[in-house]
Amino acid sequence: MYSRVLPFWLAPLAVMAAVNVSANELNPDVSVTLDGYYKQNDTALSHRDQGFGLGHTELSLSAPVDDLFSARLTTVFEEHDGESEVLIEEAYLQTNGLPFALNVRAGRFLSQVGYLNGRHLHEDDFVERPAVYRALLGSHYYDTGARLNALLPTPFFWQVGAEAFAGDQLSEGEEDIGVFTVNTRLGGDISLSQSWQLGLSWLRNRHAKNADTGDGAHDHEEEEDHDHSHGAAYTGEDLYIADLVWKWSPNGNTRDQQLTLSGEYLYADEPNQFAASGDTNEGWYVSGVYQFAPQWSAGLRYGEVDLLEAHGDHFHSQTLEETEVALSWYRSHFSTVRLQYTHQEATGFSNADNTVMVQYVMSLGAHGSHGY
Amino acid sequence: MGTDMTLRSAFAAALMLVTALPVQAQLKVFACEPEWAALVQELVPDAQLTTATSHLQDPHYIEARPSLIAAVRRADIAVCTGASLEAGWLPMLLERASNPDIQSGRPGLFFAADHAQLHAPHDHVDRSMGDVHPEGNPHVHLSPDQLPEIARALARQLGDVDPEAAAAIQGRYIRWRGDWNRLRSEWRDRAEAIEGQSVVVQHSNYLYLLRWLGVDVAADLEPKPGLPPSASHLSGLLAEPGLADASAILVASYQDPQPAEWLAEQTGLPVIVVPGTVTGDASTETLGGLIGEIIGQLESVRSGATHGSL
Repeated sequence: MYSRVLPFWLAPLAVMAAVNVSANELNPDVSVTLDGYYKQNDTALSHRDQGFGLGHTELSLSAPVDDLFSARLTTVFEEHDGESEVLIEEAYLQTNGLPFALNVRAGRFLSQVGYLNGRHLHEDDFVERPAVYRALLGSHYYDTGARLNALLPTPFFWQVGAEAFAGDQLSEGEEDIGVFTVNTRLGGDISLSQSWQLGLSWLRNRHAKNADTGDGAHDHEEEEDHDHSHGAAYTGEDLYIADLVWKWSPNGNTRDQQLTLSGEYLYADEPNQFAASGDTNEGWYVSGVYQFAPQWSAGLRYGEVDLLEAHGDHFHSQTLEETEVALSWYRSHFSTVRLQYTHQEATGFSNADNTVMVQYVMSLGAHGSHGY
Repeated sequence: MGTDMTLRSAFAAALMLVTALPVQAQLKVFACEPEWAALVQELVPDAQLTTATSHLQDPHYIEARPSLIAAVRRADIAVCTGASLEAGWLPMLLERASNPDIQSGRPGLFFAADHAQLHAPHDHVDRSMGDVHPEGNPHVHLSPDQLPEIARALARQLGDVDPEAAAAIQGRYIRWRGDWNRLRSEWRDRAEAIEGQSVVVQHSNYLYLLRWLGVDVAADLEPKPGLPPSASHLSGLLAEPGLADASAILVASYQDPQPAEWLAEQTGLPVIVVPGTVTGDASTETLGGLIGEIIGQLESVRSGATHGSL
């Protein structure tokens, strides 16, 4: 039979692909993200101080280790009050294609709870995460632990996963496994131009009972200042998150136009050992981002958060309502310049304010593919 | 008792269906672009196909949507272009789907560009050059000379994934190859009439075919590969000396027609909008049909030009 094929083989031999393997390809992919901003006024629950500042400056190395494992290291450089810090945000291994579409990740990584938490900050459409994320998850919760995910063999997208973490990045405590999470995600297409995803997550914080209860002193200024990015300022023993995303593009061509509507609701019970049954931290946001041309997008986001600030054996109630409008310009896929206005209305926060921000996010080197 | 019988026979039927499934199972194929779906269809007509993109979408900018992750999870083989065309979304799909068969280096992942001689590979690439692929121009599906080698490699790899069907797939490849050679000599003849023509393009989608036809590129509406046409670049194009000899502006149907229309208004050149890949329409359902259609469009502006309608 192959004798019949032979004549056809001769011509293609001449155009055999010239595979040019250089030693470079054995090096890990290096990517650097530069994030800088100017902020007119300080705002409540913010991780960015007023004036010129550097945001989330990342250096990331990633590569396949062998045919079974891939690995990534992401370090973050941050500066607060003139002091520089280097944080390890990601240092994990991940399996490539275990049987039954199982997926294991181990080391330090971003928890997959909620919609935004698993995404890198530089992929966001606004300068900062919604207020409820800043309060309950420290903007993005990452920790050291392990994850097991399974993608079910259903005709639509259905993923279930569980994570176990040390928990110290959320609140300090004695337990070896301070946090575990359970998460499920469903999704699909409604038509050629519309798609959706729904997620439900539960995060159990076994350290919440030992959470810092404050010193009881009524000094709000101090309280605002105590933490920049490590861990969350507000906790709860059980955190529940529901998230929904819907995207629309004419003919599914996301290059020219895309509308993204997303919303999340977070609810945390039992803030600390003094909590009574009705004491909770909760909040939500809805966001609409319209990319109206290949290089432009406009976004509007509204969010609320209802918090309890610990003061020794009792709580002070705090609320924050935040409305944000952002306009982003992308020269290419790798550069973003953003102008944003944030309006805050608050009770119990002394530093709530309105502010204008200008931000840039520049991506150098390898650029990993983005999630949904 | 009758109900009992019905139940039992229904159960038996269901059991047969379940046990018979693995034997009759269709090959499940995930195609990144419609051109590869069309090629798979020629080689495995009963394959169960999922195509990630359509001719109305820019294949560089697809999102790793939940539905696509689920489709990769179910597939036996993924057939894609490679050469970084899908770099923005395919790695994420493969990672999230965690399909053990569809991983790099395994038979379940096929890249067409691995079996082609890409035009304009770069030793040095930086982003100031625009979205340039170091491997070379990945839009290789419209290359009349390279497609046979890609189809041959694809037939072999489909056979590796489904060994029982390997002989039948090889047979269909041989038949396809014969048809292709016949079409190619037709195109060769038709190319004589349009050789030496030059066109304005937007991106390098049609470059392989244009070079094969001997049609030159007078100008590109994109200032840099992958960047959308800007007003300043377009007005700069008006001073391009090659523009006077151009016979048409050739754009893909997924692209915003406005820049091409603006230039057409300024210059009087006709705009040709053709699909960048195969579509559901009968005339451009196959790659052979699509190439014939593009040649036909170029022929029509040629005859239009000789009649002095410009």
